[in-house]
Amino acid sequence: MGTAAETSRDGVHYYEHSIWPALIAFATGLTAVGFFFLMKGVMLVAGFLLVSASALILAGFLYSDTRNWSSALSKFGKIPRDTLVGAFPVDISLTIQIIIMTELLLFGGAFGMYFAIREQFALWPPPGTPILDDTIARVQTLILISSSILVEWAIWQLKRGRLKAFKAGLIGTTILGALFPILQFGVEWPHLILNNILTPATNFFGATFYLLTGIHGAHVLVGVIAYGYTDIRAMMGQYSPKNHGFVEATSTYWHFVHIIWLFLFALMWQGSRV
Amino acid sequence: MKLEDFGTFVIFAAIYAASTLGLPKVLFLAYHIEIGVIPTAFVAIFGMPAVFGLTLGQFIASIGFEVSPIAMLSPAISFVGLLVVYFARKFSTLAGCVAYIIITSLWLSYMLPIVSGTPPNVAAYSAFAGQSIAVIIGYLGYLVAVRKILPRNTETALKQ
Repeated sequence: MGTAAETSRDGVHYYEHSIWPALIAFATGLTAVGFFFLMKGVMLVAGFLLVSASALILAGFLYSDTRNWSSALSKFGKIPRDTLVGAFPVDISLTIQIIIMTELLLFGGAFGMYFAIREQFALWPPPGTPILDDTIARVQTLILISSSILVEWAIWQLKRGRLKAFKAGLIGTTILGALFPILQFGVEWPHLILNNILTPATNFFGATFYLLTGIHGAHVLVGVIAYGYTDIRAMMGQYSPKNHGFVEATSTYWHFVHIIWLFLFALMWQGSRV
Repeated sequence: MKLEDFGTFVIFAAIYAASTLGLPKVLFLAYHIEIGVIPTAFVAIFGMPAVFGLTLGQFIASIGFEVSPIAMLSPAISFVGLLVVYFARKFSTLAGCVAYIIITSLWLSYMLPIVSGTPPNVAAYSAFAGQSIAVIIGYLGYLVAVRKILPRNTETALKQ
């Protein structure tokens, strides 16, 4: 499997020296190149082989890793309360910083694409682009601000040992967070597409609108899932005033997603009005 | 700025950007009162994350509108004003707020005639009055927070 387990002073097992992260990153690259060939209709065989190779790598990872899942899950519920083992890794600031940096590169590239396209047009948005109703976007902005404030409040309560208030705040944040993708994918997108107001095929503005808000919406979904996981651990009593690294990491990710939304709101809704 | 301050930074940026972009404009003479300016005094409580957050919020609000390139300098001017509030907090937050009003109003008095063709005298007094109203509202909120909310929380924390 290429992994080795080490035991720290606290008895926490850190799995290191795994080859799989590098292999999966390699497979992701292969998939991107393979799909590029397939979608462009050039070197179809090479494209097919590249996508197949990456699928094989992913299958290999799942085969080798799923064997550990049952024991990991059974240990998950047995983690005692108020121990440093409870919510390991306690200090994951470096991890979340790396994640935020990679996300910054992703969104930096996406916004770079947006501005590169925008530069090609004398008028932006291009003529024929509808003025988008920003009511839902305003509600979504309000939701994100409320959820960011609420999760900060929850962490503040946790640091003072008020666990009930912390749990209430965390669950409230999750509910607010879940409303965001519901409004986006369940209300706004269907409204725009089914009524033929703005589709990806309308023009370049439509294409960039769905690409950027889609990438962002996917990140919000990941954030909601992370909050759901954090909620479960909170309900199991795995966080304490000295042990809240994972909650802070989740909230940092959420704040990052929030700030990206502010740029989107400014460029896509307010920017479509000029 | 520590990682745990990231939330404060984002919340201040969001308050500025969302209130400017999402709320109806409050027109005072020739100048829109920016609701996002109201939290200025809170820089004295929340520190540098609030300074950076409000500056970024102003930048985001600027890119939402098709503004003149010179107007894009406003976040930088505002940043200087917020730094003054931050460094003045140890002796007088009010003095910092007054300095902020003067710095940003002078800039707006210079910029508004260029961007919107407003007569300079109208731009000057409307900018000064608009900024003053917003900052003073925030300062009153700051006083309430400092005198009523913060001591209560500190007491509770000490008891625990």
